[in-house]
Amino acid sequence: MESTLEQHLDDTMKNPAVVGVLCTDQQGHNLGCRGSLSDEHGGVVSVLAKQAAALTRDPTDNPTVCLESESGNILIRSHGTITVAVHKIAS
Amino acid sequence: MLPSGVLCKSTTAALTAGLDRIPDQLGYLVISEDGVLASAGELENDEHTAGVMMEMVRTASRFRLQGSADPPFKRMSVILEDFVYTVTVSGQKVFVVKRQNNQQEPISI
Amino acid sequence: MGCCYSSESENTEQDPERKRLIPNPNPVSKPPNGTDWITTSVPSARTDEQALLTSILHKTAQNIIDVSAADSVMMEQHEYMDKARQYSTKLAMSNSLSQKKALTLPSLTSQPHQVLASDLVPYSDVQQVSKIAAYAYSAISQIKVDAKEELVVQFAIP
Repeated sequence: MESTLEQHLDDTMKNPAVVGVLCTDQQGHNLGCRGSLSDEHGGVVSVLAKQAAALTRDPTDNPTVCLESESGNILIRSHGTITVAVHKIAS
Repeated sequence: MLPSGVLCKSTTAALTAGLDRIPDQLGYLVISEDGVLASAGELENDEHTAGVMMEMVRTASRFRLQGSADPPFKRMSVILEDFVYTVTVSGQKVFVVKRQNNQQEPISI
Repeated sequence: MGCCYSSESENTEQDPERKRLIPNPNPVSKPPNGTDWITTSVPSARTDEQALLTSILHKTAQNIIDVSAADSVMMEQHEYMDKARQYSTKLAMSNSLSQKKALTLPSLTSQPHQVLASDLVPYSDVQQVSKIAAYAYSAISQIKVDAKEELVVQFAIP
């Protein structure tokens, strides 16, 4: 089943604006990554997602965290027990 | 609201001037290491949000892309269903503005 | 560092940091220890009242800081400035250690208001990352995904 995730990450990277993708579990363990995002980012990504969840009382209101710059954005979003980060460059 | 008389009125005004003119703003916070310097609207005296934002800024500032010494962002946004928190740091102060998120709502005619 | 008269030992006199800001107006005097005044006082021949008075006066003088006298031998302005600079450098060095934590916030911008007021992240990007997260979760959860729509979607970025 791991190959399913690997395939998904590869597919995501096919989007020309995407230069990096990372998938981590709740503890920050890296489940897979591509491009500009690597092992070292797993911790920060999972912690940011967890901290953002404290900003809403509605458990169904799933926050997206975005680190923005002129050159591109890093978007972080949790789904269930996993968190993904996608690095998109501005086009 | 000022938690103490540390800042004089003109200093606070300089910090917050313009924050209330940000499009669709619902409230704002100006935070330093010592606590909330100024707050208004839906974020008035919101110590909880101030605390979480401070933690998130600390976490996010550890983020580095390969070959860069600086954090790779100028602004951090937390996007929720109905509103967005936009956050930045300048001069050792964290600025948080809560803005309405009306992008995703279907266009009503 | 301490205050002007806090240190009396000889070797610290050499240390510029411990050098007195106000010079001792009675340079030959020693700290009174209760016996000194007898030996340093008057010749034994003069055992009259005048000698006793002189010794009392001498002893009292040792315990008094004559501010007016000190004023007249004040440091030069530049010496004072040097000391001030030296102390503030030392202070800054010790303060920088305790303030290190306070300086951990990065400066992301010099124009916070403009940065905060600029356009929000396109909703299409938020949708895209939500979709990527959902697919990734499905993949991890070993749920067979029957992807009916195109995974790679081009969004019009303004």
